[in-house]
Amino acid sequence: MREILRVDMSTLQVTREPLPEKWARYGGRALTSAIVYSEVPAGADPLGPENKLVIAPGLLGGTSAPNGGRLSVGAKSPLTGGIKEANSGGTAAHALGKMGIAAIIIEGAPADKTALYALRLFPDGTVDVVRRHDLAGLGAYETVAVAKGIEASEHRMSDKSSFLVIGPSGEMKMKSAGIAVTDPLGHPNRYAGRGGLGAVMGSKGLKLIAIFEEGLKPKQHADKDAFIAAVRKFSGALTTHAVTSQALPTFGTNVLANIINEAGGYPTRNFSSGQFEGVDGISGETMREITVERGGNVKHGCHTGCVIQCSRYYVDEDGHYMTKGPEYESAWSLGANCGIDDMDMVAKLDRKCGEIGIDTIEAGVMLGVYMASGEIAFGDGEAALKALDEIGRGTELGKVLGDGAEATGVKFGVKNIPVVKHQGLPAYDPRPIQGIGVTYATSTMGADHTAGYTITSNVLAVGGTVDPLKPEGQAALSQGLQIATAMLDAMGLCIFVAFAVLDMPEALEAIHEMAAAHTGDDWDVDALMQLGKETLAYERIFNEHAGFTAADDRLPAFFLEEKLPPHDVVFTVTDEELDSVYSFVPEVAEQLGIE
Amino acid sequence: MRVDVVLFAHFSGFQPDGKGGRHARAFEFEEGTTIADVIAMLGLPDEPRVIFVNSTHAPEEQELRDGDRLAIFPPVAGG
Ligand code: SF4
Repeated sequence: MREILRVDMSTLQVTREPLPEKWARYGGRALTSAIVYSEVPAGADPLGPENKLVIAPGLLGGTSAPNGGRLSVGAKSPLTGGIKEANSGGTAAHALGKMGIAAIIIEGAPADKTALYALRLFPDGTVDVVRRHDLAGLGAYETVAVAKGIEASEHRMSDKSSFLVIGPSGEMKMKSAGIAVTDPLGHPNRYAGRGGLGAVMGSKGLKLIAIFEEGLKPKQHADKDAFIAAVRKFSGALTTHAVTSQALPTFGTNVLANIINEAGGYPTRNFSSGQFEGVDGISGETMREITVERGGNVKHGCHTGCVIQCSRYYVDEDGHYMTKGPEYESAWSLGANCGIDDMDMVAKLDRKCGEIGIDTIEAGVMLGVYMASGEIAFGDGEAALKALDEIGRGTELGKVLGDGAEATGVKFGVKNIPVVKHQGLPAYDPRPIQGIGVTYATSTMGADHTAGYTITSNVLAVGGTVDPLKPEGQAALSQGLQIATAMLDAMGLCIFVAFAVLDMPEALEAIHEMAAAHTGDDWDVDALMQLGKETLAYERIFNEHAGFTAADDRLPAFFLEEKLPPHDVVFTVTDEELDSVYSFVPEVAEQLGIE
Repeated sequence: MRVDVVLFAHFSGFQPDGKGGRHARAFEFEEGTTIADVIAMLGLPDEPRVIFVNSTHAPEEQELRDGDRLAIFPPVAGG
């Protein structure tokens, strides 16, 4: 029986309750969104005591399901004003799963606004909240180092620990603050980055969540043999598909840089061109060459059980760890979008974001807007580092920049601000890649590529092909992928499994077979898709209550008006098609009895 | 006719000069040469590919034209 752990930061009381029967089939994003919908008033101040931070492993969390250890973090977003689920790798999700925890709900807020706490979960089931003023103002890496030292001496805890931490940006409640999650070596380099959830954690007076799993065993299955058979089928597919078995493990996610650039959809210098002349310097191939030469690690998983292993570390010239090998999105946002073509500079910026605890996508989109204002120049990495320092120090300027791209653009009078629902656009221009524009416009999350990754069929020829330059078929493509992604997020599966799932029917079968064998409930393909639809229905209706209308499901006007070179095209999917993406919601809401 | 050929990820090792890298190499081809002919000439492995001519997806049977830029990728993805 899975449990909900409720932490009231007003009273510092921790209570346990059984997971309600109606949510027995939910995990991950399905659970965070259902809880936020049910418990957070849509009109709540995102940084006030009424908002709740919900942390949930997927339904398969705590098992040996391949790539099944992703973590969902939900709340009302201070950046978008709507519902948010930010998804992270790292070791925390499996640890929570093994503890039998379906979700942690952190609610209320300390009366003393300056108080800072750590929430600690021990393997014997003890949970406490302790004051931790010694961590005030520390960067994410230092926070983990200090916390580990204390726990090791006080509790003799080994390395089997996971930490969720915020940097100074979260303590200062900035809207681009994320929550860092530690990886298998204890580096806080995985992020529930988007939507300002670090600020929500900061508003609860929580600097750190420590999870100790020493001695805990993976969860029991309803049918162990069937589970093992399904796991074999799933990992067989992942280790066969060319993308998940070769490209991702060899080059990491940044293998995308060259192909998106070639397709003319690589946003350059604040979305003013679709190709960057300096792309090779910040590409996945170059990153691999540099890292191999310096003796850095070029292949590992962000949690146990990952069979794809797209992660790597970036090291300095002396071979010392600098940061996670910047992901495609980070290398783009801090690279091409700022006109920066130097991998070492990108890594410095990435590490700086990691220290102050901000989302690298929002940071890079913000920097692109700031550069477009003329305050600093495109290509000036040192000036970008200084701008990030302002955020870390919380200066007057830093407070503006730390609130993200839109706040910065408004302050400095920039015309083209690439945001949807106040959130910065990721690394694909929606003009020559129209499907992703549908996802950016309509996603419940604000501009978010992961919500419905149409790049698959639009550019990569995975899961069929849909011409990226034409509006036809994009709404249906985005809708199908948004539903499937919500399902993967609910299961706790890494979305990169989708590349295999879209091309190999046995991979999709293996997912419902794992769910059925693990839980003992009936699962099939229809049930998987229903799970995705229910998740999106909670989110969509929360957003409606929070005041979002069809007008919020639109791209900024310049994507419809200003042609992007080299294809010289604008976004042409019609408003009617955008409005059709969520047409399934009323029926699903009625089934759920929500409105 | 002259065509620029660029190869990415592990395909870059198949450039005839053996130097790897993602920079374009210029080739002289007969009129009527198709993408499939170039793939055979390069000896690319028999696996799925994603192909662009002048930044637009192109099928392997397409004939190349003077001044084209041909870019070939193995299956890649990320996000
Ligand atoms: S494929 Fe990459 S992101 Fe996904 S679980 Fe593995 S290491 Fe983490």
